[in-house]
Amino acid sequence: MDTLINPEPIEGLPFNRKPSTIMHIDLNSCFATIEQQANPLLRGRPVAVAAYTTPSGCIVVPSIEAKKLGIKVGFRVKDARLICPDIVIIPPDPWKYRNVHLQLRELISRYTNDFVPKSIDEFVLNFEGYPSYRLGLTNVATEIKQKIKQQIGEWLTVSVGIGPNRFLAKQASNLQKPDGLEEINYKNFKKVYQKLTLMDLHGIKKANTSRLNSVGVHTVLDFYHAPLSTIKSAFHSINAYYWHLRLRGWEIDDVEFKRHSFGAMYSIPKPLFTPEELSPILHKLVEKTVSRMRNSGYSARGIHVALLYKNRAFWHHGKTISEFLFTQPDIYKVAYKIMTSSPYSYPVANLAVSVFDLQKLNSTQLDLFNTVLKKVNLAEAIDHLKEKWGDYIITPAMMLGTGDAVPDRIGFGNIKDLENFIFSDDKISL
Amino acid sequence: MIQKVDIPVSVLLYHDPQKSKTLPISISYNARDYKIQKIGFHHTFRTGRTLFHVFSVVADGTFFRLVFNTDNLFWRLEEISDGYAD
Repeated sequence: MDTLINPEPIEGLPFNRKPSTIMHIDLNSCFATIEQQANPLLRGRPVAVAAYTTPSGCIVVPSIEAKKLGIKVGFRVKDARLICPDIVIIPPDPWKYRNVHLQLRELISRYTNDFVPKSIDEFVLNFEGYPSYRLGLTNVATEIKQKIKQQIGEWLTVSVGIGPNRFLAKQASNLQKPDGLEEINYKNFKKVYQKLTLMDLHGIKKANTSRLNSVGVHTVLDFYHAPLSTIKSAFHSINAYYWHLRLRGWEIDDVEFKRHSFGAMYSIPKPLFTPEELSPILHKLVEKTVSRMRNSGYSARGIHVALLYKNRAFWHHGKTISEFLFTQPDIYKVAYKIMTSSPYSYPVANLAVSVFDLQKLNSTQLDLFNTVLKKVNLAEAIDHLKEKWGDYIITPAMMLGTGDAVPDRIGFGNIKDLENFIFSDDKISL
Repeated sequence: MIQKVDIPVSVLLYHDPQKSKTLPISISYNARDYKIQKIGFHHTFRTGRTLFHVFSVVADGTFFRLVFNTDNLFWRLEEISDGYAD
């Protein structure tokens, strides 16, 4: 791996001339394309997967056809319908997407063992030292594209980017969508940079563009040619050095982030006012969060509650306590205290709970009177029941009446739970 | 229009040992037989320990989501769609 680990300024660092060994695969319009794969009657039509199909529901993924009409991620369903009254709105079906992810993962593993799923629809593959590298990465990418169509679904398309580092491979995958196959290397990088704006670079948005503009950097080529000292005066951080390397094809993004928190959120269809009205929803959110945390083998001592009110006011508060908690009642008690400490009494539109400051469950400190051990045993017994009969088979009475509130959802960036599903010994693989 | 339902249905399943494939080939629903022309996607999920197989299929111009419970071997129809907006 050509990684520069010495953070000394390297002025005049040339573009990395090593052959491209990194491939970035991005499933186009992931959830919407998978829905079109499942239902052939939707193919070629504007479709969008929305968190909720109600008019104020948020569009999570528009299909390629819907994107062409100008419908974007984050649109309200009612706004998308104004643009295209015929658009088909579909609620998310997480297990369908997880199945595709697992099939992609299996397919990719036939070419290299060194790959990282960056999200539910993105993979980064490193071919350095693998026999498939000798076939040529463009040939490998073409073959992967074909096999996806043959073995997973003929409607699925991926954009593939190839480059000497992760950043350029990702950037190359964005050059042509859908169904692209592009490479950025030492031969063509200037030509590619010429066509891009600063905001096209993955990781550069408005704030960073302003910073760069303030030091006279207005184009990607300016960014590339700018001395490190100029970039430093824009970022005032180690990021200047990272960008200096990224744009020159050197690896700096070969980092895997570990799990820092678990959480769940619910948009309440009918705004609720009082803690008594909110507590069943809070119970269910805590239940879901704790269940995921324990399945992953963690306990937590940080609890955070966030409330978004109907009038768009936002209040949130986090609390760290002395002992690590892992049971639903213990975490609920803290979450309830936090929620009721909110100074506002507006109707609540959105309630979120998360736990942080995690520790592996097997390192939980036992106490003198065995109360912790009793709780561990009880939690294990509950987990066994859930594993056998399904989530929410055993719940606090407070949760009665919450029905389908807080449904199963899947985040783009969050595939850690899926990893637990695949690799946990006691789970049965698909 | 997408219609969410939960109806027991009769499904004819065909197993081909040579190709190692098992595919639904027709559905009996609403006193009518529908011949499956296309299987869009097949996936699985679990509720507790029960494994469910989901077949997303098109038969006679209509989309059906068929769910097979491997515990009791019952089929249920969960969704019907003509592919158009509501």
